[in-house]
Amino acid sequence: MRNTFRKMLATPYALFMALFVILPIVLIAVYAFIDSDGALTLLGNFKELAKEKSLDNVIKNSVIAGLSTSAICLVIGYPIAYYLTKKEFNRTGVMIGLFLVPMWVNFLLRMMSTKAVFGVLGIPLGMGTVIYGLCYEFLPFMIMPIYTTLLKIDKMYLEGAEDLGATPIKAFWKVTVPLSIPGVISGLTMVIIPSITTFAVSEILSDNKIKLLGDFIYNLKAYNLNMASAISLVLMVLLAISMIITNKVSDDEAGGGIW
Amino acid sequence: MVRKILVRCFIGIILILLYLPIVWMIVFSFTDTPSFSNWNGFTFQNYIDLFTGQSSNASRINEAIVNTLFVGVFTSLLSTILGTLGAIGLHAIHNKRVKAAYMVSNQIPMINSEIVTAISLALLFNLVASTISISDGTWLETAIKLILAHTTFCTPYVLLNVLPRLQKSDNKIYEAALDLGCTPAKAMFKVVLPDIMPGIVVGAILAFTLSIDDFVITKVNVTSFETLSTMLYGLKSGKHPLPADIKSLFSIIFFIVFAGVMIMYRPKNQAKSKK
Repeated sequence: MRNTFRKMLATPYALFMALFVILPIVLIAVYAFIDSDGALTLLGNFKELAKEKSLDNVIKNSVIAGLSTSAICLVIGYPIAYYLTKKEFNRTGVMIGLFLVPMWVNFLLRMMSTKAVFGVLGIPLGMGTVIYGLCYEFLPFMIMPIYTTLLKIDKMYLEGAEDLGATPIKAFWKVTVPLSIPGVISGLTMVIIPSITTFAVSEILSDNKIKLLGDFIYNLKAYNLNMASAISLVLMVLLAISMIITNKVSDDEAGGGIW
Repeated sequence: MVRKILVRCFIGIILILLYLPIVWMIVFSFTDTPSFSNWNGFTFQNYIDLFTGQSSNASRINEAIVNTLFVGVFTSLLSTILGTLGAIGLHAIHNKRVKAAYMVSNQIPMINSEIVTAISLALLFNLVASTISISDGTWLETAIKLILAHTTFCTPYVLLNVLPRLQKSDNKIYEAALDLGCTPAKAMFKVVLPDIMPGIVVGAILAFTLSIDDFVITKVNVTSFETLSTMLYGLKSGKHPLPADIKSLFSIIFFIVFAGVMIMYRPKNQAKSKK
């Protein structure tokens, strides 16, 4: 009974979330299946999307950019996260702060400045520079979940492995890496989908030559909200599937929520 | 030993790459040229112009700063209130299913693509506009619309910063306050709020920074209303990457942010895992 008052306090939050999070998502699902006159059309918007010639290229670019970005972020981010959990490289914890500060500088500004640097160095803008920009933008999102997962690993396991005769390298691959998988998966989900759906990064760093899904949806929004909803719905379903997989893995590995 | 040096070099190179564009911008904010490659002598002129309102984009910059701060402050306020109340309520709910439903809806704005959140909000605003035919949008109406949109993606972060504090605090103190004759509301203000205040403050700061940094949701949902982000986007089409005065403005913002984050991360090893 004494809890009633406190439970009541959640009401404004619940109402707000229902109105601004749940309802808009329901609207996406509704708009995806009606045409611009409001008539029901089961697959009309998806067929229209399939007809868009530019979409093939957009999807191809997005897959290339998303996969390369997440692979590069993982290869760079994992060692950084790993060594930053060691006292010898990160005594006060300020190093992890240094990796986070650029996130607080407006990303458009960083992209424009990066473009200027490429200009001075004479590097031509294209897919390579777009992927560089995406890695720049999303590297912290890979480092942070891996870092927090690695911090939680009990050192006893490593000592145990070494006591039982494993070399440090073997202990790393057999103990640390498997235990950090939930962090890696969390990092990947925070890099892949956001990186292919950002907009403006590819526009700035490729001089409008390369378009990713984010740019495509943004342009679509101007003239056809129904088609924009249809493609948003697809993205949400993909995200939901990846979340379900992530949760399964996290449960199995006892890692739990990272953020 | 060699390994240690190699690791230091690796971390150093990545940090240099991360900071290079920012440092580049700061360096070129001290020369009187809009380009990024021609050094035209050292000068504080850009900064002086910025503060005396003499810069070439003075009125545009001022408007964007006012808009950004107005939306940021009220977004932070609203999402802190909603998120804190939500966390307190959620903490008191023990039904597993209800709790899970809350957590899932809280996760949605955090994990959904920004562009998808932006489109979903655009649909909502369109629907509202068509049913209660609001006029084309005064400054205040647009600002309120943007505050609501920003609050949508900021509230979940506030909730996630407050909730761990509640879980750590002892429920019995609140119970004791009630036993000693406090009304629930008084017990809330006297006992619970002071206990979770650090979480609330971090949540409020986080909400403010997320709001002033937002670009996608702002760009999709409002047109004739410029924030610092949308102003930057508007300037990118020009021949030169960035006007000199804009570079000095963002250099100042960078130093404030840098000092703030360094202070936040100095005292404790694990301040907060955020974002």
